[in-house]
Amino acid sequence: MQLKNVIESPCGLRFMLDELELQSGFARRWLLDSEMMTSEQEIAASYDVLRHFVDFVGSIEPSYLNTLLFRLQGVKDIRTTIKNLRQQSTLDDIELFEVKHLAILSTEVAKLLKDHNLDNAVAIPPLDKVINILDPDGMKIASFYIYDSYCQQLKDLRIEMRKHPEQQDQLLVEAAEIEEGVRSDLTRQLHAHVEDIEHALIALARVDIGVAKARQAIGQGLCFPAISNDGSSHYRAMFHPQVRVALERGGKKFQPVDIGFANVPTLITGANMGGKTVVLKTLTLCQYLFQFGFGIPSSEASIAIKDDIMFCIGDEQSIEKGLSSFAAEMKNIDAVIKASRKERRLLALIDEPARTTNPTEGTALVQALLKVLAPKRMSLVMTTHYDIEPGAARCLRVRGFDGGSMNYSLVEVEDGEVPHEALNIAQSLGIDPEWITLAREELETSSCEKTE
Amino acid sequence: MPFINEILKYDSLSIVGLQKNTGKTECLKYVLARLPLEQKKVAVTSIGIDGETTDQVTRTQKPEIVLREGMYFGTSEAHYRQRRLVSELIDVSDESTSLGRVVTARALTQGKILLSGPSSTQGLRRWMRDTRRHGIDLAIVDGALSRLSLASPAVSQSMILATGAAYSINMSQLVQRTAFVVDLINIGVTSERNIGLLDPLEGGLWWIDTDGELHEMEAVTSLSQQVQFHGMERCATIYVAGALVDSFLEKVRKNKALKQVELVVRDFTRVFVTQQQLKMFEKAGGRLRVLHKSHLVAVTVNPTSPAGYVLDSSALCDRLSQAINLPVYDLLKN
Repeated sequence: MQLKNVIESPCGLRFMLDELELQSGFARRWLLDSEMMTSEQEIAASYDVLRHFVDFVGSIEPSYLNTLLFRLQGVKDIRTTIKNLRQQSTLDDIELFEVKHLAILSTEVAKLLKDHNLDNAVAIPPLDKVINILDPDGMKIASFYIYDSYCQQLKDLRIEMRKHPEQQDQLLVEAAEIEEGVRSDLTRQLHAHVEDIEHALIALARVDIGVAKARQAIGQGLCFPAISNDGSSHYRAMFHPQVRVALERGGKKFQPVDIGFANVPTLITGANMGGKTVVLKTLTLCQYLFQFGFGIPSSEASIAIKDDIMFCIGDEQSIEKGLSSFAAEMKNIDAVIKASRKERRLLALIDEPARTTNPTEGTALVQALLKVLAPKRMSLVMTTHYDIEPGAARCLRVRGFDGGSMNYSLVEVEDGEVPHEALNIAQSLGIDPEWITLAREELETSSCEKTE
Repeated sequence: MPFINEILKYDSLSIVGLQKNTGKTECLKYVLARLPLEQKKVAVTSIGIDGETTDQVTRTQKPEIVLREGMYFGTSEAHYRQRRLVSELIDVSDESTSLGRVVTARALTQGKILLSGPSSTQGLRRWMRDTRRHGIDLAIVDGALSRLSLASPAVSQSMILATGAAYSINMSQLVQRTAFVVDLINIGVTSERNIGLLDPLEGGLWWIDTDGELHEMEAVTSLSQQVQFHGMERCATIYVAGALVDSFLEKVRKNKALKQVELVVRDFTRVFVTQQQLKMFEKAGGRLRVLHKSHLVAVTVNPTSPAGYVLDSSALCDRLSQAINLPVYDLLKN
C-alpha cells in the first residue's frame, strides 16, 4: 500500500500532505510512492531519524535552514538519466549537466548536514569523483559543456572557429564527432558511480521529507508515538489538525480527546454533533500517519501496527458510481468482514453503520455485525445511534451537553444505551419551536402508550 | 543607435510583432547585434506558438537567431540539440514544452540557434526570475502577439512593437490600427491593492465592492451570453481574468449600476475589443485598467508586405510617430 493509494481517504490525510512544506517535486513524488510500513523495526528507525531532524530544525539558525531549503529546491527528478546511465547509453550534454548538478548539490547538502551531525540520520554518498569527471577545470560551478580540456584536438578546432567564423559550420561538424567520443568516454567513467548517484538523489529526497515532517511536527505540536506490542492503541489529547484549523478560523477551539482501543470491539455512542465521526477520522488519520512515519496529532500516543486499515464512512464516491448510500455502505462493511477472516492485523473504523435504513432493521444489522466481528482478532471502533446490546464490547460515550455547551470528551460506560439529546440539541440550534414542541408531545404520547 | 540606450534602463524587454512579417525578427537581430555585452549580461528566449518551427502562415522556415559570444539563451531541449554554436548549459528547468524542457545556456562562440522557450505566462515569469538568479541583467523575449500564444509578453518591463505593411497595406488604416494597439499597451495600471487581490486569480469573472471585498461573478467567461450583474450595485471594480470582448464591454456600459466602474484585465493582450466600443465605454464613465503593463520603448515598421507591396517608409514613420507620440524606425532602411 503506497501513500498515493490512501491519500484521498476521507480521514484528512491529504490535508497533512498539503501542509507539508516539501521543496522539490521529486521529494513529493518519492513520498507518495513510499510503502506503508508494517514492521516495528522500520517504524522505530523512521522515528529515530525524524527525532534527529526535529533536533536539527530546532537548533539551527534560520539563515542556515534557508540555505538548506534553497539547495533542496534545486533537486530534479533525474531517474530517466540514471536509467540511461545504468544501461550505458551515451548521455547527452543535458543529461551530463543533470548528473553534475546533482553531484554538486548533494555535496553541498552533505556538508550542511555534517556540520550539524545529521549525516548519521541520512547518509549521502560522496560524489567527489563524479564532480571531478564532469569538472575537468575544477570550477565547482554547476554548468556543463564538453570542455576544451577533455581533448586537445577539440580545443584546437574551437580556436579555429573563433578565428574563422565563416568556417564555423564545417568546423562544428568536425567537433561534433570528437564531442560524441568524449560523451561516450564520460558515460563509461560515470557508469562506475551509478549506484552512488542514485543513492544521493534518493538521500536528497529523504532530507527534504525529513525536514518537512520535522517542521510540521514542531508547527502543529505533533508527538512521536511509542510502538505498542499488545495490539492496543492509546492517545492522550488527540486532535484532528484540519478540523482544528477550521474551528480556529471561526474563532472556536478544538477540544482534544483521550481514547484507547484494543482487540475488543469499541462502541462509541453519543449525542448528535458530539464529534463521534471526528474521533473515527482522527483515529484513522493517526494510524496512517504512524505507518508512514509522520508526527501524531496528540500529546502522547502508543500505537499498535496494523496490516490493513479500513475506514467506512458515508461514501460520496460510491454514490457517484451509481450505488445508493445504503448499497455502498453494505459493500464497504462486507469488505471488512471478508478482511477479518484473514490472518492479518486489521483495524476497522465504521461510522454509524446502517444509518440510512429503518431503525428496526438497522438495529438488527448493527447488533449482528458486532456479533460477527467481536470474536475476530481485530481492532474495531464503531459509532452508532442505535440501542445495541454490547456483549463483550467496550462502550464509550461522548459526555455531551454539559452546562449549556458540548463536552466532546469520552467516558467509559457499562452499556451501549444511547443518550436521548437530539431534541435538546435541535432546540439549542434555534430550530423552529413548533416542530420541536410537537416532537416532545409525540415522545410523551408514545411513552404513555407503552406504559399503558 | 536608436533606442538601445533606452532598453538598457530595464531588466526585461519583449519584442512583439502585430502580424507575421512585420519585422519582429529583424528587430530582435538589430537589438542583439548592438547590445553592449561588456556592460550587461543578456539572455534571450522566444514564446512563439508552441513547437512552431515553420511560419504557420507563409510556410517559410522560422529563422535561426545569431547569438554573439557571451549571450545567454533559453530554448527547448530539441532545439538545444540542433544548436550551431558551442555553448555551456547553466540550467535545465522543470518547464516542459512539446519540444522538451526549457534549458538555459551561455554561448561560448557566436553561432545560430532556434529559440523556443516557455509556452505559458507562468513559465515565462519563472524563466525570467531564474535568469536573474544567474546574474542576467537583461532578459529579452521574442514574443508573438496572438490569441494562440498562451504566454503573454506583457510580463516584461519594456516592449518594442513591430508593425508594417503585412498588417495593412492601407497606410491610414495601418497607422490607425497600430495607434490603437499602442493605446492598449499604454492602458494604465490598477491600484496596488487590486493587483494584490486579483493577480493570483487564474480565471473567471470577479468584482470588488466599494468596501474592497472580492466576489466571484456567476458567469464563467466574459464570452458567456448569460452574464448577469445581479446584486452588484456596490461594484467598484470588475476583473476579467480571460479575454475582454465587445459584447461584455457593451453589457457593462449599458448597466446603469456600473456607470463609474473600473474594468480590469490581466494585460493588454487580453483586450479584444474594437476601438469604437472602448471609446463608448470610456465616454459613459468607465475606465479600463491592467494588472501588468510594459513600457513601450519604440515602434518599428516594415513597409514591405509579404506580397511585395511597399509603402513609403519615411511617410509611414512620420505619420505613425505623430499619431502615437513615440519614435518610429524602419530598421532595414537605417
